[in-house]
Amino acid sequence: MDFYRKHVKSDCESLLGRFQQTQSVRFEVFSNIWKEMKFVQIFSGKPTHKKRAFCRLVLDIAYCYFLPPFSFQIRVGGLYLLYSFYHCQTASTSEQLQIRVALKDWEDVKNFEKDAMDAQHLDVVYILKQLMICKAFQFTAMPTLLLYRTKRNEEKPMLCEQFIERASCPQELINTQLLEEMSNIYELYKNMKTNIISQITAPTNTSVNLIRKDIVSQLCSTVMEFYNWQQGRDIFDEHKNIYERTSSQQECSNRAMLLASIKSKAYGEASEASKSRRHRQVETNLTTQEDGSFLKERHSRVMKQSLRNRTDKQIHMLVWVRKP
Amino acid sequence: MVPGLRPDDASVFVAENMAASKQPTEPNSSIPEYEFVNVNTKPFHIGSFRDEWLKRLQPRDVSFQPVDQDTFEASFAAEMGLGEETMAELRSVCSVDSLRCHSEDQQPDPKVVPTNSTLKTVTQRKKKQEIKTSEKSSKNRHELYANELDRLTVGRVPETEDDMIPEGEVILTINIYFPGNFEKFNYVRPHMTLLMTGSHTLAELRDAICCVSDLQVCGEFSSTPDMAPDFISKDIFKSAFFFFEGVFYNDMRYPECQDISSTTIKWTKSQNFPSFSQAKMEDTRFMDLKVKVGFPYLYCHQGDCEHLVIITDVRLVHKGDCLDRKLYPLLTHKNRVLTQKCAVCHVFISRWYTTRDQFAPSDPCLFCDKCFRMLHYDKEGNKLGEFLAYPYVDRGAFN
Repeated sequence: MDFYRKHVKSDCESLLGRFQQTQSVRFEVFSNIWKEMKFVQIFSGKPTHKKRAFCRLVLDIAYCYFLPPFSFQIRVGGLYLLYSFYHCQTASTSEQLQIRVALKDWEDVKNFEKDAMDAQHLDVVYILKQLMICKAFQFTAMPTLLLYRTKRNEEKPMLCEQFIERASCPQELINTQLLEEMSNIYELYKNMKTNIISQITAPTNTSVNLIRKDIVSQLCSTVMEFYNWQQGRDIFDEHKNIYERTSSQQECSNRAMLLASIKSKAYGEASEASKSRRHRQVETNLTTQEDGSFLKERHSRVMKQSLRNRTDKQIHMLVWVRKP
Repeated sequence: MVPGLRPDDASVFVAENMAASKQPTEPNSSIPEYEFVNVNTKPFHIGSFRDEWLKRLQPRDVSFQPVDQDTFEASFAAEMGLGEETMAELRSVCSVDSLRCHSEDQQPDPKVVPTNSTLKTVTQRKKKQEIKTSEKSSKNRHELYANELDRLTVGRVPETEDDMIPEGEVILTINIYFPGNFEKFNYVRPHMTLLMTGSHTLAELRDAICCVSDLQVCGEFSSTPDMAPDFISKDIFKSAFFFFEGVFYNDMRYPECQDISSTTIKWTKSQNFPSFSQAKMEDTRFMDLKVKVGFPYLYCHQGDCEHLVIITDVRLVHKGDCLDRKLYPLLTHKNRVLTQKCAVCHVFISRWYTTRDQFAPSDPCLFCDKCFRMLHYDKEGNKLGEFLAYPYVDRGAFN
């Protein structure tokens, strides 16, 4: 079932990407995209004995988009996704799977609800409350079942960068109140210092200058610069995307070609054995691929056919050979 | 001294402000957190976990009674200050019908994979289906029936009110793995999955675990075949323990039970291990345990038959679960094992294992009860010929 994980994820991300572009949080907009993509087909054609596991996978993936660090709009999209999956998963209500909510995420859910209420997003609040009253949520310890899987076969799943909330920590930390307090403290400190120094040593002694001058104004300007850069990057990104993509692609492919050519030279020609081991010459493998495809991962496990299949095969071959 | 400025002023001012902007206190240990992401959590107390959830929820959120749609809409409209028109619009926009991708009369068959879809999942599924139909692969019966037990019990409601699981109860999903001495699936594949409630004791979990080593009979019984069932290991060696988070929970219900964990504890004292403690299995409920979810623990019985135990899930009970208390501990999954059949009839599962048997085609040889008696004993039950016979418990005896 993990096989479908990355495909389901990419489908969800394409839907949420479209939703993000509309710059709206209305359910109507979401349901139009859902209908356009015929998203309900994600459940079609699943054999009965695999349905439950697939529905569990789909709900778990949608749940991630409902929580931070994604932006508010993406979280609304995640909520709509959960609502849609929950109702479309199966025809019979007895087989419906619930949405698992972990205890550690409950505060985020409540904050989300509060934000939606304050902004008067009626459809968001309505859908969230509707899910609560029709018992769609299961209150659990952790979001997924944990089976002590220490072997990580795939890489860590990457969060889609475009969906993540813009970092606002610098602005939150360096707020006006803090700046005021800092400047007060700085004034006090400066006064104390000048009073003490003028009494003890010459004023030009630099050993007591431990703090930057104008630290407060510098902090303020740095944060403003960061904020402006963030804003500018969003707009700049869109224009630069197309240009960047092609140029970076070219760079990547150039580099890949270079690596491939070096490697093929190294592995294609076998090194000559030393004179003492001339009786054991190295054999060249004439079937090495010289394009860049061997840079990709190879399946190291070979599937062995069952004894029955191998016997059948051999019998068929024998029969075929024996035919006049 | 500098006039007009006390040196304490600044430091007090700084200290006060630092205290005000201090980060919130250390994290609440009853809220489960990952110790290793997607692997296991840190230890938490199950009873406190339940209390934390109940603190945050309204009684109607945990109740099994569904809330009436009209009541909900009326209270929602009142809370948000909406008129009837807005409410009606909201209702129609957010209804499930607005997600319908195909018109009423053109509903496609949900069992068929659609051909032209923009979704990657669907195209992959189609590809897989095509590969499967081209190759002739045998049906994987394990997969086909994996959900069978679950489907039988989900949503079952008891007849009487007393047998109903109370609202707000905790349900734990526990995986018991094959014992260490099993050749295949060592510690990897769960043998059975059990659902337990928080009020169950560990002794009840022990009783629900079926392991064939409990049924083993030791000894040679060729002269007295009828006495074999009297010597089942389960009745003779009754001691067992669970090991969770540094505590050994021993089964002390019967006078024959011994504390088999004491040897391990004595040994660990001589090595540099943290000290372990002991408790009674029958007095400990799941609600009182402090455990990690997803972390392997141990169940040991028959002296050396050890099973891994992993608690995979802890959650509050939901109206869609099986609510009949009498059905718990509930078996939701059982891994079935290939069984050895009798060498004579190839129909029944073998129950006797003979060696140095002059009647048998091989040494050793397996027989079912009927064939064994027909071949080795006469009508009066006298032993014919020379052989040694041992009772055999097939690994799949609990299938």
